[in-house]
Amino acid sequence: MKRLKLISLVLLGAILLSACAGGASTVNSWPGLAADANNAYLADGNNVYAVRLSDGVKVWQYPDKAGTPKFFATPVLTPDGQLLIASAGTDQALLSLDPATGKEKWVVPFTGAKDKWIASPLVVGDMIYAANNDGTLYVLKLATGELQWSLPISHSLWAAPVSNGKLIFVTSLDHFLYAVDPQAHKIAWKVDLGGSVPGSPVVSADGSTLYVGGFTKKVSAISTVDGSVHWTADTKDWVWDAPALDGDTVYAADISGNIYSFGAPNGKNAWPDVQPDGPITGSPVILSDGTVVVVTESGAAYAFDRVSGKAWGVGTNIGGKIYTTPVVSGNLILVAPMGADSLLAALNNSGNVVWKFTGK
Amino acid sequence: MWDLLIINPFTNALLWIYDVLGHNYGVAIILFTILIRLITWPLNGQQLKGAKVMQDLQSDKEWIDIQKKYAKDKEKLAQEQMRIYKERGINPFASCLPTLIQFPIIIGLYQSITRALAATPLGLLDLARSIYPWLLNISTLIPLNSRFLWMDLGRPEGIPFPAGFTLSFLPYGFPTLAIIVAITTYLQTKLTMPPPSTGNPNDQTAAMTGMMSVYMPLFLGWLVLNYASGLAVYFVTSNVLGIIQYAMMGRVNWRNLLPGAKPALSDGKKK
Repeated sequence: MKRLKLISLVLLGAILLSACAGGASTVNSWPGLAADANNAYLADGNNVYAVRLSDGVKVWQYPDKAGTPKFFATPVLTPDGQLLIASAGTDQALLSLDPATGKEKWVVPFTGAKDKWIASPLVVGDMIYAANNDGTLYVLKLATGELQWSLPISHSLWAAPVSNGKLIFVTSLDHFLYAVDPQAHKIAWKVDLGGSVPGSPVVSADGSTLYVGGFTKKVSAISTVDGSVHWTADTKDWVWDAPALDGDTVYAADISGNIYSFGAPNGKNAWPDVQPDGPITGSPVILSDGTVVVVTESGAAYAFDRVSGKAWGVGTNIGGKIYTTPVVSGNLILVAPMGADSLLAALNNSGNVVWKFTGK
Repeated sequence: MWDLLIINPFTNALLWIYDVLGHNYGVAIILFTILIRLITWPLNGQQLKGAKVMQDLQSDKEWIDIQKKYAKDKEKLAQEQMRIYKERGINPFASCLPTLIQFPIIIGLYQSITRALAATPLGLLDLARSIYPWLLNISTLIPLNSRFLWMDLGRPEGIPFPAGFTLSFLPYGFPTLAIIVAITTYLQTKLTMPPPSTGNPNDQTAAMTGMMSVYMPLFLGWLVLNYASGLAVYFVTSNVLGIIQYAMMGRVNWRNLLPGAKPALSDGKKK
């Protein structure tokens, strides 16, 4: 009996200490969201969900049983009808699902990376460009997921690569923006941004300029040709995710909750004092009518018109903490909170909640 | 409150050491562990003294007698024990209290090591909010250089198996550091294990310590298998420093390592 008590005590201590280790590297998550005309695809915690846009009902869930994947990376819909997902669990797998059924499409998932996936992959032509936390850019065949080549770049790569059709651009926590030549399989140029960059750049419509934020409290406009800096504009805090580009305007938000409207040609800020109620880590999203939508860590969504007036009055409270960039599909704005009563909420263009998805 | 008083100061101190000493996170963890051990040195001393008093009491004739006499009357036994404590000026919590005070410090150290690693987006956001801007420029400090010896301190440690060989329960490879942690934990527990009382077959302290010497190494080894190896560096450093500290206080029982050897008495004489 005494021995049993002692073992129970040790086990209790073990559980407590395990709880204390909650801050360790593989514990938390960061929802990722994508959508097509019919479904939203939400990677959250240990699962990816397909949710019907018309009514918020679950279509499928991956894996369908309890599994070990853990998701940080946003799912990616490909032009040839695949849904790419990448896991930060112990399997560290990048795999392809059928968006209609949630069944795996490749014969073998890609498990050749040495670390977890935080960045979502980029598809250009028939290739996948996937940046891993191990600092390597992996290039896979889109149809099968077979590794074609890889390029060690640097330190942790957390942001999805982007492309202007000629080069692949990758940001890194090591403070650099890299341009990779996919034909030569090498780095074409790199530029030191002075601080870590956890978010992607955004490419101008003509492919000539990148706009990128980061931890230096700046947004920069950079030439895609040689990495020269056209302009930099100050922000009050870190810009976590990619800016959003709408014509000649670059919208960005920082983790103190400030929103900026920079002129794309010169970096002049037209919104000096736009600050809703909480830190912003997701990118701003532009609706078809030009309204700019942002979500905040305090669990609310806000909309602003181009001239800077608030479009939705006091904003829409969704609950929990919202870190993920919203996604627009049709007339719905999809928002993925953490720690709320729902995993996904759909708002209409007036900011009213249409439905919520709880994961069941 | 926990973050404000424990985690944030610890994280800032750890990263300050890292910043000053050439951006080597492994060295920063080792130095920070030494610093914390030095700060808590007096508490450890008090704990040792309290433990020794309680250990001596276990072999006291009067103490043993009342255990036997009131074995079936727990209430009376408790009264008699309190009487002895009072008469001899013993505080039964004297050995527990320093441990309880140290516990939050140890947990805080543990959490600040993982927070500073910021291996996930949420972890990085937490770290950004923990930093004192007047002390550190976190935007240039990130990313931490987490390479130390053969390890990436932000990931569980393991030396890769030969190509084609995998073990599902060891996804990170051969767990060298987990084994080192288990061995040093075992050594520390064994070497600092108090001697059993001479006349009390029901010595609960000895029974507890005996159990701990088996389960703690296994538990800590398991933790290291699954969590960032920066924690393992902390465990190993802490274990080695613990042995050194006990040795300096003359409380290490080297005989405990010899198989079949009789443990030393608390006064250092052979039984």
